[in-house]
Amino acid sequence: MKKDVWHIGGHELTSRFFIGTGLFPSPYVQKEAIRESGAEVLTFAIRRINLASTEDDSILQHVEGESFRFLPNTSGASTAEEAVRIARLARASGLSDWIKVEISANERTLLPDPLETLKATEILVKEGFTVLPYTSDDPILCKRLEEAGAAAVMPGAAPIGTGLGILNPYNIGLIVEEAKVPIIVDAGLGSVADVAQAMELGVSGVLMNTPVAKAKDPVGMARAMRLAIESGRLSYLSGRISKKRYASASSGQEQFIVK
Amino acid sequence: MQLIVNGEAKELEARTIQDVINHFGLEGRPVVVEAGGEIITKDQWLDMEVRPLMKIELVHFVGGG
Repeated sequence: MKKDVWHIGGHELTSRFFIGTGLFPSPYVQKEAIRESGAEVLTFAIRRINLASTEDDSILQHVEGESFRFLPNTSGASTAEEAVRIARLARASGLSDWIKVEISANERTLLPDPLETLKATEILVKEGFTVLPYTSDDPILCKRLEEAGAAAVMPGAAPIGTGLGILNPYNIGLIVEEAKVPIIVDAGLGSVADVAQAMELGVSGVLMNTPVAKAKDPVGMARAMRLAIESGRLSYLSGRISKKRYASASSGQEQFIVK
Repeated sequence: MQLIVNGEAKELEARTIQDVINHFGLEGRPVVVEAGGEIITKDQWLDMEVRPLMKIELVHFVGGG
């Protein structure tokens, strides 16, 4: 079988799992979970350094020496302007010119602001970033982001951290059908069933943090999610049967013994 | 002089950005600096002078999704 690789911004990827680095019970568990996930892309946030503490709480000290690609996000931004500022700070680290545009205007749902997200994407593409906007699951909006130059588009399955799964599989399927760039389902997934469903809908990858980090056993869950991604992907490539209303016997009905 | 570092007024002895970094014990750590709304790259830290009440942001990567 041909190696199933994909590309973002000219960079070849083998794993279809982008894993977040927040909320893990300890750096050790996080490291092990990342290893089990097989992920090549790690997400981060940018925050002010806590000047009251002398301890190094930078996430980078726990992942150094390994060959990951970094995807910082613009979380905390509620406007395009703020997201652009955070993106520039992230790039100034010298670690990555990839940026996940994340602009929330509602504290309770953290749902992305589509207009500001499009605006920020346009600006950051012009500045030479590899832009991966996190957005709502609207097919037209996703198309608009692609046309603005997004390297991949990342519609949410459900609000961040809810674990509700794919609320609108019809939309996700439609987004995939229309897209010419990779579609990554980002946020709202909860279980391997959700992940397999996303992959069977044909998305190129999934981005998860909470469902792994907050599982009872994050390391076990990281592995379970990796297998679900592989399984769902293989199912998508292999082509599932169509749904029928009535039964069809597995052995045919012509040569029954009892007739 | 008084500087606004990460949103807080701080009184410290500093002439350059490098002095500010040293003051907070951040040498060798992965820090990104913004001063007066501009990103200051590491090779500018020694030369970039700070002004009274300058707004300085010292940021880094933390865990996130």
